[in-house]
Amino acid sequence: MLSVSVYRQLLRLYPAPHRRQFGEEMIAVFGDIRSDAASRGAVARIVFHIRESAGLIAGAMQEHWRRLGGDPDVLWFSPRRATMHTEFRFPRTTAVLMTIILAGVVLAIKKGETISSSNVNPPIGPLPPTHSVLLGGIFLTLAFFYAAGLIGWAILFAMRRSGVHRLAETSAETK
Amino acid sequence: MALYDMSPEVTMEFLPLTEPVLLILLSLAEEPRHGYSILKDVERMSDGRVVLSTGTLYGALRRLLGEEWIERIEEEDSPRGRQSYRLTARGRKNLQLEVSRMKHLTRLASFRIAGKEA
Repeated sequence: MLSVSVYRQLLRLYPAPHRRQFGEEMIAVFGDIRSDAASRGAVARIVFHIRESAGLIAGAMQEHWRRLGGDPDVLWFSPRRATMHTEFRFPRTTAVLMTIILAGVVLAIKKGETISSSNVNPPIGPLPPTHSVLLGGIFLTLAFFYAAGLIGWAILFAMRRSGVHRLAETSAETK
Repeated sequence: MALYDMSPEVTMEFLPLTEPVLLILLSLAEEPRHGYSILKDVERMSDGRVVLSTGTLYGALRRLLGEEWIERIEEEDSPRGRQSYRLTARGRKNLQLEVSRMKHLTRLASFRIAGKEA
């Protein structure tokens, strides 16, 4: 799904100084952990690709935010990030973040396609059609997990509102 | 080491550290490591609970480099994708301060919980 070449294109989301400083390292490390993930199960591979896509886009947003003069503590070193969460906790902000990440992925794919199509000295012949199929597959997979996440959130939210997760506590107290 | 050391090397504004940053610093406290090694060590230390993406890792490393808590080790024979990082004296001092803060907090918590149970 997320190949090294696509990852390299997504790195363009980062500010140029960050790419110059860490770009090659990030690609090398991504290649290593991608090889690790390839030897695991399908679920682990899917989790790996989602984590890498989200991490890359969130990281790029963080770097742009910092360069715009935003408060870095909002994104890093914030005590809120160390807060423990209950298993039912799924804040609405996460849904918003998922939406932003999805939008970022779509933009990144569009940008990658634009860069590929605007190449002044393209390699011999046009890009193979599998390139577009690959990007479309990434989009569809991310959209699927986004929808699944939203449904999961709705279920957890409804359960939390109903107080079903406190039934165990109630029964323990009555004993 | 005092809980609130106000020496110039200590930057209280960054404490408490997030768990990923704390684990990255702990990983580098043992020995210099390159990016892949840090990722695997963090995963091992947390029993697989904390798995960093490359974006998260290099965001943290960039920040820690900027604050001079860590430094890059220039190795002539290593490829560009294998830069190593190590903890600076400033980073080690801040890490010790964070550990002291956590110890203080756990002692306080134990004391309060024990008092409640008694």
